[in-house]
Amino acid sequence: MIAQKITIEPVTRIEGHAKVTIRMNDDGTVNHAYLHVNEFRGFEKFCEGRMVFEMPLITPRICGICPVSHHLASAKAGDDALGAPPPRPAALLRELMHMGQVVQSHGMHFFELAGPDLILGFDADPAMRNVVGLLQADPQLTLKAINLRKWGQEIIRILGGRRIHPSFAVPGGVNKALTSQERDLILAGYDDVIATIKIGLSIIKDWAEKNSEDINKFAVLKSGYFGLVKPGNTLELYDGMIRLVGSDGVELEKFDPKKYLDYIAEHVEDWSYLKFPYYKKMGFPQGVYRVGPLGRCNASDRIATPLANEELQKFKAMNGGKPIENTLHYHTARLIETLYAAENVKVLLDDPDIMSKQILNTCRDPKPQGIGVIEAPRGTLIHHYWMKDTGQVERVNLIVSTGHNNWAMSESVDSVAKTYINGQEIREGLLNRVEAAIRAHDPCLSCSTHAVGQMPMIVEVRDSSDNLVKTITRG
Amino acid sequence: MKTLIFGYGNQDRQDDGVAWHVLLQLKQVLGLDPDVIDDELDPYADFQVVFQLQLVPEHAEVIACFDRICFVDAHTGSVLEDVHSEIIHPVFDYSPLTHHLTPPSLLAITKNAYNKEPAALLVSVRGYAFGFTRELSIHTAQLVDVAVEKIHHWLKST
Repeated sequence: MIAQKITIEPVTRIEGHAKVTIRMNDDGTVNHAYLHVNEFRGFEKFCEGRMVFEMPLITPRICGICPVSHHLASAKAGDDALGAPPPRPAALLRELMHMGQVVQSHGMHFFELAGPDLILGFDADPAMRNVVGLLQADPQLTLKAINLRKWGQEIIRILGGRRIHPSFAVPGGVNKALTSQERDLILAGYDDVIATIKIGLSIIKDWAEKNSEDINKFAVLKSGYFGLVKPGNTLELYDGMIRLVGSDGVELEKFDPKKYLDYIAEHVEDWSYLKFPYYKKMGFPQGVYRVGPLGRCNASDRIATPLANEELQKFKAMNGGKPIENTLHYHTARLIETLYAAENVKVLLDDPDIMSKQILNTCRDPKPQGIGVIEAPRGTLIHHYWMKDTGQVERVNLIVSTGHNNWAMSESVDSVAKTYINGQEIREGLLNRVEAAIRAHDPCLSCSTHAVGQMPMIVEVRDSSDNLVKTITRG
Repeated sequence: MKTLIFGYGNQDRQDDGVAWHVLLQLKQVLGLDPDVIDDELDPYADFQVVFQLQLVPEHAEVIACFDRICFVDAHTGSVLEDVHSEIIHPVFDYSPLTHHLTPPSLLAITKNAYNKEPAALLVSVRGYAFGFTRELSIHTAQLVDVAVEKIHHWLKST
């Protein structure tokens, strides 16, 4: 067999360019596979010169899937820049909105994007391996999944006035208090939501039991794990210290997120637009780490809510308390976090301060910089603003979660390609695994714009002279 | 006949938000208040003009309450005409790695989840520039009238 180059390219427009290239050896084995992703530098430039209080409304425009994460990280950066920490009720309300965001985003990913892979099988026809195929296979489950996401979206709408791009958090607090009617409306859906998430957990556990061979040879990567924690190394999504543990589970660092530049550096490869963050002290690639659900579950020891904590302990027990390194267990970790977020909604709504009208700190003590860090559904999100005396933003640095996971996604693609594509004809079924390796991380590749036109996955097989041998189009 | 005009896109990314401009002009043509474009779907409305950032699966529940729907969006290179319109049916368009949901996919979810199949038209307008601004490019702005006329004709003829 002659040397080949395979290119997998979802054709999108602005953000959203991600391409997989698999370089083949002459004997038909994979030499190396790469994932190339664009990043958001255009948006950083766009923000320069804006007033800091405008930023929580501008930056969510980066994304239509997790705008709340940008909204809240931006407000936190504004709190810091203006020296105006929010009153406790405002922090609780922001966290409540964030929980709604996590439930809707994780719920959508598991049931509507990854779920079809798991429930219908990696080798199922792509024409059916989607939410409609799932609907036909299990209509009741799919309706429950849609309602799960709707509940999360409804929390966002109640607090922010709209489901996408809410207007709620401002530097120093929030602009709307919660009423008792709104509180009751959210709580009314709680039991159904918990039941649906438990069904999801039973699906992934059952699937994992039946597919342990796939899980154990599918992108099992050694890396660090990175995420916010509260005291006691308790998993945290809104505010805390960043904890980094090694592949063996030993704590490498625990630091104030505002000092992220002391601990994180970014490596550049000439084949990718996106940089590769790593832990400075260990260098690249030894210091690479993973974020998102797997990163957070591995970086924490416990969860504050009972049902999710029980699931986390079972999860950790699978590897004797050490980090779970199997990429496919991102899905398990994602459901554990969904359970936590839903339980935490009730904890927050039961807090006596949640309906307080003390929601804004109007004191100001401006600083030259402001940093806001939050755990977005896909991982740690950092907003860093350098300020002018006028209150305008002079410079912006955004590190998004898809960026932190850049190495992991690329290595997962490489691992899966080497495992499943080996000296045989490239069939679509094999490429499903490559696609699933990327999807496990739930990257946000194409959220800013959505126009008519397919986003097909085009697979080109080329020989060593770059002649096109075969094209597979998916989509 | 319960009718929904459903535009979507990113208003802050120039021509990606062309649907917003089409909806504003359509409301003027229909003698409706052009200053009000709803951003929440209303299942009880007899006639509604809505703009949102993107389509999502839970829209299916409300879509199912309408008899006919016109989706309005932007498009790029893969579509030949500058202003494209077509009757669409429930077909799931596979999007391998992204969160992208198309109108036929949304109709497919609606049909499978709620057993409803509203008549649907898709009108899309070519986008030329996708910068960080709400002002359309000159080329796309010139196409808004044509899109409005196509929608107006569909409203009168169906």
